[in-house]
Amino acid sequence: MYVLDPTLEPIPDDGDPGPGIATLAGLKVGFRRDILWRSWDWVSSEWAQLAEQDGAQVQIWRARGRTGDEGDVMLKELDAFIAGIDVAVVGLANCGSCTSWTIHDALRAASTGIPTAAVCTEHFTGLAGTLARRGGRSGLRRHVLPYPLDTLPEAEVRDIARAHYRPFLRTLGL
Amino acid sequence: MTSPARTIDRSCGPSGCEVDWLTSQRHQVEDDIAAFTRWAAERGWGDGLPLIPPTEARVRACMAASGRFPDEVIAELPPLGGEGTVEKIAVNAVMAGADPAAMPLIITAIEAMARPEFNLAALNATTGSVVPAVIVNGPVRDQLAIPYEVACLGGAGGGAPAIGRAIRLVMRNVAGQLAGVTSQSVYGTPGRLAGLVFGEWEEVSPWAPLAERRGVTGDAVTVYGAMGTTNICDMIADNGRSLLEFVARGLAYHGANGALPSSAFCEVFVAVNPVWAKIIGAEFPSIEDVQQVVWEQASLPVSSFPAGYDEALMFSRRHGDRVHVAQSPQDVLFTVCGGMGNLHALSMPSWGDTRSVTAGIPSAAS
Repeated sequence: MYVLDPTLEPIPDDGDPGPGIATLAGLKVGFRRDILWRSWDWVSSEWAQLAEQDGAQVQIWRARGRTGDEGDVMLKELDAFIAGIDVAVVGLANCGSCTSWTIHDALRAASTGIPTAAVCTEHFTGLAGTLARRGGRSGLRRHVLPYPLDTLPEAEVRDIARAHYRPFLRTLGL
Repeated sequence: MTSPARTIDRSCGPSGCEVDWLTSQRHQVEDDIAAFTRWAAERGWGDGLPLIPPTEARVRACMAASGRFPDEVIAELPPLGGEGTVEKIAVNAVMAGADPAAMPLIITAIEAMARPEFNLAALNATTGSVVPAVIVNGPVRDQLAIPYEVACLGGAGGGAPAIGRAIRLVMRNVAGQLAGVTSQSVYGTPGRLAGLVFGEWEEVSPWAPLAERRGVTGDAVTVYGAMGTTNICDMIADNGRSLLEFVARGLAYHGANGALPSSAFCEVFVAVNPVWAKIIGAEFPSIEDVQQVVWEQASLPVSSFPAGYDEALMFSRRHGDRVHVAQSPQDVLFTVCGGMGNLHALSMPSWGDTRSVTAGIPSAAS
């Protein structure tokens, strides 16, 4: 007896991580936040401060509701945000749905040709990689933070952020 | 395993084609349900229940009942972006044991779930225990034996479990919603096995059918991101307002996604039994008034949240000193179904930033 395969078809993939950066000096670095993770607010604020010390200009955009009219507004805001930066840092992939949107927004930034990194916590790296691959760009740069992160005290998260700054820059190719 | 040549000739119509344009790979398997189920499980196709082998004859029967061409892409289904062709939907419907006559409903439900406002990419990947519920309106309820009376959300039998399972298998096999791989659901939910498919008991409702209120008359589905089901029991209320207020307050609890400080949007689903519906309807003939009362009462005082939540509550549905479970009165989905035994209402807390979608079911002939 023959049966028909019920599963999805494979799609093409690009393993290229896209362009990296050679220096932060003079670059506009954009941090994409969300309304879910205070830990990402703390990490991105630490990284922003350090990036400014390294000569970058920092812009921050916060994603909110992703459906309905508000969702349409978010996409327009996201595109405007991406258009105004040289480097995109997108987070935080720290749950299922937010990993989905983190990778979505990171792929959208990467597709414009700017250096892009998605930031995820360790538990969600597998999902982030899977979504990036099915998004056609398995090489998407991803920086991994410890997990769990959001349940840690603010001071500890900020310590982690500072410790991860140089590795994060290496993720971006520096 | 063979791969058929793809020959596209539409002149014979979607159901009459003799040409082989079912493009799915063929696998040779043992002609035995138990053996096939084991074999399919090894490939990750299965949900733990026995599967009907999707032979070409069975798939063609589903195709014919769909009234669609096999290569029509109903939607790209996240999280993995698989093409939800009519053929793939039919293959999974066969495995689920769905009645071929249910194909138009199954396709419509999947199409509705793929609409951007439903946020399926996030819903299928979330840590939450959400499953899209399918609420059915119109004569198709009886044609497909979709229950809307006693035990309509489970246990009544009929065609609903296989329909729900077909949709779930599409999510697994085509959308790629795999536990621990893409789906991060911490607990899952029984609804991820056979779905949550039920009808509204329109005939006893004091209000217009849910789908009609949302702009679709006749056969229709409304898909809703449900965090399971919750029972609300009352034995005291003797008037419509008391009933409504009691039920509504049962919707609001800390930990409901609608009450999350950082939930960008939320709606809520409520079903009352026919006895209560009659009492409420006599006092509130306008469904808008019902929704208003439920929205107002389904809320929590800001002061009830523990210390440390204040900052995050700025993103929530905070109105004055209360946090509302639903975004607005219009986001209260209020229906009638269930048995005549009274005493209970049903709520399905929403997952959050996903908006229910109502769509008309075309007949296979149209």
